[in-house]
Amino acid sequence: MSDHDHDHDDHAPTREDDDLELTEGEARFLALKSLLIEGGVMTADEIRARMEFNERGSPHQAARMIARAWVDPDYKARMLADTKSAAAELGIEATEAALVTIENTPERHNMVVCTLCSCYPRSLLGEPPAFYVSKAYRSRAVREPRKVLREFGVDIPDAVDIAVHDSNADLRYVIMPMRPQGTEGMSEEELAALITRDSVVGCALPVEPA
Amino acid sequence: MVDKLTTDIGGDSAGPVPQEDRDQLFWEKQMIAAFNLLQVKGVVVTDEFRRTVEEMPADYYANSTFYGRRLDGMVRLLIEKGVIDADTIEARTREILESGTRDHV
Amino acid sequence: MSEAEPSYAVGDRVRILDIGKPGHVRTPTYIRHKVGTIERFCGMFENPEDKAYGRWGLPPIPLYRVQLKQDDIWPDYDGAPGDVLEIEIYDHWLAPAGETT
Repeated sequence: MSDHDHDHDDHAPTREDDDLELTEGEARFLALKSLLIEGGVMTADEIRARMEFNERGSPHQAARMIARAWVDPDYKARMLADTKSAAAELGIEATEAALVTIENTPERHNMVVCTLCSCYPRSLLGEPPAFYVSKAYRSRAVREPRKVLREFGVDIPDAVDIAVHDSNADLRYVIMPMRPQGTEGMSEEELAALITRDSVVGCALPVEPA
Repeated sequence: MVDKLTTDIGGDSAGPVPQEDRDQLFWEKQMIAAFNLLQVKGVVVTDEFRRTVEEMPADYYANSTFYGRRLDGMVRLLIEKGVIDADTIEARTREILESGTRDHV
Repeated sequence: MSEAEPSYAVGDRVRILDIGKPGHVRTPTYIRHKVGTIERFCGMFENPEDKAYGRWGLPPIPLYRVQLKQDDIWPDYDGAPGDVLEIEIYDHWLAPAGETT
């Protein structure tokens, strides 16, 4: 196994897979990267900077926004009207052309899928999870959403309608889950901790407070 | 009626949705960052990239992984646009695999 | 460059077409020939069917979200009667559904 005393790029995020075997895929990417740098298309510094920028896109961003919306009706109204501006209010730079927030209600549960590829609000949720990009989820979510949700342990009663949103073109979707009962005295930060990535895709409900 | 695109799988039957997650590998993060830059710099357009994925043979697509086909689609597109050369990237890939190390790039 | 005007208003009944266009399109086959209701006008967007081939996709075209009942998409749908699907459809993939739907 390789040792770790050799000199890596300054400021690079941890090479957490340094002890993994080099695969054909990675080798091909490294070849591509070196050709792009040699060809003057981009620099290593630019790649590093963009990686750092991308690291900011994480489920915590969506959670912050939704927690704020739960405690501040005016913010919630602004988020529903213009999600991108509402993100900017919290210092989140959304690179998506258009973001839409859909609110769960006692009458309607919402979930998102991109059947054609993997469209996802990455600025607010990071890279999509394995299930979201899987062919099984992309195939089945539009046809049997209740069955798919049950696989996630979410059982939506028939009295509640389900709306599936196929994120197939230019909009990117954020689901705003309902605030759980028993959270009345909780701070925004405590509330944000209840909002999981999957609950913002509509494949889970927020964590119940202890 | 035109043939269905390989990516057009909404409504198809399929097995259980995979529940296990995995973190992105370092090179996958690098790859996404590099692809973002290609778009920001106007070298490629998202819809061109999607089109190259759609042009993959159906059996290749069916057996491909998420990051694998992204890399493949982007390589095809950059070759098509003349940004890189097919033989050069093949040779460079072999060279890196044979050396077995990431350190020289 | 002049822009197309949106042809549909919220609440209009529309049929999603199969325009038989080969290559890169963003209207999945499962939704073609189905009838639904305009839920919102999303704005004007560059045409992905052109952008996929190195063109600019201009002038921008209207995009809508169409809401459809799941029962109207899948004859054997297993769920609640109020279950719906919403999807983004460009103007040229839509036609008025007519009054008898």
